[in-house]
Amino acid sequence: MHVLGTYGTILVLILMVVVFSAIQPDTFATVGNFRNILNDMAIGTIVAAGLTVPLVCGDFDLSIGYVASFSGILMVGLLSANQLPIPVAMLIVVGIGMLIGIVNGVIVSKIGVNAFIATLGTGTVVVGLNYAYSGGIPLQLTHSTDFTGLAIGRFLGIPHLAIIMVVVLGVLWVILNRTVQGQHIRAIGVSAESSRRAGVAVDRSRIVAFAIASTCAAIGGVLMASNLGSGQVTAGDGFMLTSFSAAFLGSAALREGQFHIVGTLIGVLTVAVGNNGLAMIGAPIFTQYLFAGCLLVLAVALGGIGRRYGRG
Amino acid sequence: MTLLSLNQISKSFGGIHALQDVSFDLNKGDIVGLVGDNGAGKSTLIKILAGAHDPSSGQVILEGQAQTLSPPANAQGLGIETVYQDLSMIGAFTAAENFFLGRELALGRGPALFRLIRRKTMLDTAVSGLEELHIDIPGVRSKPVERMSGGQRQLVAIARGAFWGSKMLLLDEPTAALGVRESKEVLNLITRLSARGLTIVMVTHNLEHLWSVCNRVVVMRRGRKAADMPSASTNMEDVVAYITGAKEGLQGRALELTS
Ligand SMILES: Nc1ncnc2c1ncn2[C@@H]1O[C@H](COP(=O)(O)OP(=O)(O)OP(=O)(O)O)[C@@H](O)[C@H]1O
Ligand SMILES: [Mg+2]
Repeated sequence: MHVLGTYGTILVLILMVVVFSAIQPDTFATVGNFRNILNDMAIGTIVAAGLTVPLVCGDFDLSIGYVASFSGILMVGLLSANQLPIPVAMLIVVGIGMLIGIVNGVIVSKIGVNAFIATLGTGTVVVGLNYAYSGGIPLQLTHSTDFTGLAIGRFLGIPHLAIIMVVVLGVLWVILNRTVQGQHIRAIGVSAESSRRAGVAVDRSRIVAFAIASTCAAIGGVLMASNLGSGQVTAGDGFMLTSFSAAFLGSAALREGQFHIVGTLIGVLTVAVGNNGLAMIGAPIFTQYLFAGCLLVLAVALGGIGRRYGRG
Repeated sequence: MTLLSLNQISKSFGGIHALQDVSFDLNKGDIVGLVGDNGAGKSTLIKILAGAHDPSSGQVILEGQAQTLSPPANAQGLGIETVYQDLSMIGAFTAAENFFLGRELALGRGPALFRLIRRKTMLDTAVSGLEELHIDIPGVRSKPVERMSGGQRQLVAIARGAFWGSKMLLLDEPTAALGVRESKEVLNLITRLSARGLTIVMVTHNLEHLWSVCNRVVVMRRGRKAADMPSASTNMEDVVAYITGAKEGLQGRALELTS
């Protein structure tokens, strides 16, 4: 049980790679397909990895999907309607994302509203902003059409999205595991009161964690807009559920029932490989949902067992 | 010489008066034993000195200057370290990580987000800090403290306090839940720390432990100070009588007369 709780997700991942490669050696087990998987999962990974930071700190953030949607719409709007240069528009969008995260963090830590409720509230407000800005209608990219090159291009054969994903993952990993802030966020996740007593600035750390999640969601939204070449009103909403799934799946990978960046990556990868493989063998779409749903419940159950028995 | 004075400190939680008008002076070099029944207010008093609670009213004077001790980082900055009755360490962290929690050695300046932890230096410093106090615990570098024995954990927590504390060390039931040998080790450490110039306040339910290290006894009863005496001029029966209320302090008697 201990082994399953710690390595369960990875075992499933390896098993799938082996099985799908055996069944479909010519389509599944190819460099091209691997590149496709990486490309398809990149944006979701960035949003999920961002969410992992407040999760490590012990806080939920339900607003990330709506922040991603709004960021995509806003990005296209700033480029098309306002004709801003790409870098300026990106800075504004990501800055607003960060600001939303700071607002989340302040409401949760300083005012003391439960994170679940607070981020549900801010998320809904962000949906409102989205509709106010877009009128609920998709926005087309009429200027700076080379903006699509950001997400669609390749560098030395590697998709841009995959490169950006690796960079974001790397930065987040360093923050959580090698910086003072990361040490504090991990300590707060274990015990906020112990951390406070040790002199950790608990409120500030929680705010930073929310800001990181929201910033990543905004980056995800920008990339999504670039990938689609337009602003879709609800295109990013689904990231909320997939990110939570990935992070929880990842909590049953390598470390007993703990959230961590590498785990979240493994979580996204497992679902992506599963969906891709199922499609390759011609399984109907509904099997992908069955697979992802069952895997999540199973992994978290095992992760919980890992958490309970791991301390002994 | 007076290191710290409490003036009329009160603390209430909603309707509960955990502390009422508690005043006393701590002299430099004191080892004060703080005793009293469960719920008498000992931990609350410790938390006020530690900066973990803000007093509802009253004043704390450190070396002649009125000070605000909360949040805990403030008290720490003033040289006051605390080993709490509970929640004093992060279980999943190693002893070394706990040693430096909130005060990590790091490269760079500015926000915590941009400062890289110097893990190796922290490990070495924590190990030599423990060595200096003659505390020998295996796994300081790698073992999460939740996997250490209660005694080892307590020694680590006290050593952390001693490492950072320049003036005062507050210990809330440092020997509770420890065996005879571990208690002895902790009491020895307390004596050694006092000899190095630290002023110590120690909460305990064990009067033998109190007598073996403390030079003063402060008895708390129902949120008030019931007695405050040099341990040389009192005895266990007296202290027990103050704890149970069989004998009453001046404050208590005066109050009873007025009410
Ligand atoms: N955070 C809190 N919220 C509400 N009431 C509290 C809180 N902390 C302490 N109290 C109350 O204050 C009173 C004093 O508690 P305190 O913890 O100081 O007692 P103590 O002397 O340390 O007892 P023990 O020997 O059991 O540790 C108790 O009645 C307790 O219930
Ligand atoms: Mg207590």
